[in-house]
Amino acid sequence: MGSAMQPQDKASLWQRLRRPSAKYSVLAIVSTFFVLGILFWGGFNTAMEATNTLEFCIGCHEMRDTVYQEYKKTIHYSNRTGVRAICSDCHVPKDWTHKLIRKIQASGEVWGKITGTIDTPEKFEAKRLTLAEHEWARMKASDSRECRNCHTFEGMSFDAQKDRSKKQHEIGKKTNKTCIDCHKGIAHQKPKGMKGDEDDDV
Amino acid sequence: MFSIRILTAALLAGTGLITAGAAYATPDWSKAASRTITVVYPGVSPIEWIRKGVDHSGARGMKQGETCVNCHEKEAADLGQRIVTGQKIEPEPIKGKVGSIPVKVEATHDGTNLYLRFTWKQPPGGGPKMDPDNEVKLAFMLEAGKVELANLGGCWSSCHNDVRTMPGVKGDKTKYVKDGSLANGVFYDLIQWQSKPNKGRDGYIADKRVMEGGKGLVEAKGEKKGDTWTVTFTRKLSPNNEGDINLEPGKSYNFGFAIHDDHTYGRYHHVSFGYKLGIDADGDLKVMKQ
Repeated sequence: MGSAMQPQDKASLWQRLRRPSAKYSVLAIVSTFFVLGILFWGGFNTAMEATNTLEFCIGCHEMRDTVYQEYKKTIHYSNRTGVRAICSDCHVPKDWTHKLIRKIQASGEVWGKITGTIDTPEKFEAKRLTLAEHEWARMKASDSRECRNCHTFEGMSFDAQKDRSKKQHEIGKKTNKTCIDCHKGIAHQKPKGMKGDEDDDV
Repeated sequence: MFSIRILTAALLAGTGLITAGAAYATPDWSKAASRTITVVYPGVSPIEWIRKGVDHSGARGMKQGETCVNCHEKEAADLGQRIVTGQKIEPEPIKGKVGSIPVKVEATHDGTNLYLRFTWKQPPGGGPKMDPDNEVKLAFMLEAGKVELANLGGCWSSCHNDVRTMPGVKGDKTKYVKDGSLANGVFYDLIQWQSKPNKGRDGYIADKRVMEGGKGLVEAKGEKKGDTWTVTFTRKLSPNNEGDINLEPGKSYNFGFAIHDDHTYGRYHHVSFGYKLGIDADGDLKVMKQ
């Protein structure tokens, strides 16, 4: 007697998925998917983190030949203690919700890459101010959240700072400034035509 | 003839020394207030630039009453170096020019005259001879509190983006002060010494710079020993003349100075930040009566 075709083999995949399992225990199924879930989650996040690496960012010549070269001359790239901040440290939020939102927004950047919006030095320079203003606005809206991943007023030893820095930080604290208000140009060249805030003029 | 001239000179000199309340006397420099002030190469930093926060973040500090000295004095050498090498705000760096010069400034008075002495080591030169006659010039300014921002920046309020030798400027506009007016007391009293002919001139800066007419300067002379310059000024405390500031005991005045080193002119000088000269009063230089 050969094994006859069971009625359920002729049913569609969807029908089979909706039927209770005859063969496997709830625990077996739950545990399997629990493990698969972990693997998926890990994989998803690994892939997402892969898009946070320096190498990924400078994979596009638009970034590699412009802002990356400028960043390499700054203190966030090379300093006394060897603590380096890479692209994602400043441009991608660390907490999951904000990070995911930013990654979804980044599809706009993929579109820009495909259509070549800044794929020559001239096009980049023409758009530099706009792009910078986007980032500054994003950082100001989040109270410089990415800066504060590493830097805090409370953590500053004012004694270890030069007079100028100490005074500016004290004034910044007093006038409720956020990091990006004063530290524009910390990692990339300042664009021409910056408007500035009249509140900062004397 | 020659020996009679010498005799006459000696007689006059002797009389001059003996006479009480002399036009000037050599002060006891050991009693003078002394401070090392570093003059820096300022590049292109007119007051219009200084006042804009987006260009010069120090404007935020100035809004809170911070003086230039408060933030910049200790880092003056670094700051000058960054500018003179063209890293910042200098579109035409002059090769070999130093970023800063430390100058010993001594000040004292005897109730009649103010005595100022500036001593510094001449840095290497070799730049273009903009002012072929004068190897060195030194000028200082005094101000009594009416010029906008002079209390924070000393001479800086006379430096504008449309003054001669500033980039893109054609023409001969001299330093000036916003709303400058002798009648309203809005001016800097300016005294300059030039190495050739080793003399001083007394003028002022109001709506423009006028190099003569001051009655404060008694004498200005410079001397070079080896590579060290010493320039001494004797100036009446109270000239009582329009365009001159009367220095009253118990008060402090805004003060700054500049050295035009290596045959330079115009904006190519090294300048000090703004300091307070206190006449028998508190200040960055407490000038006490001898």
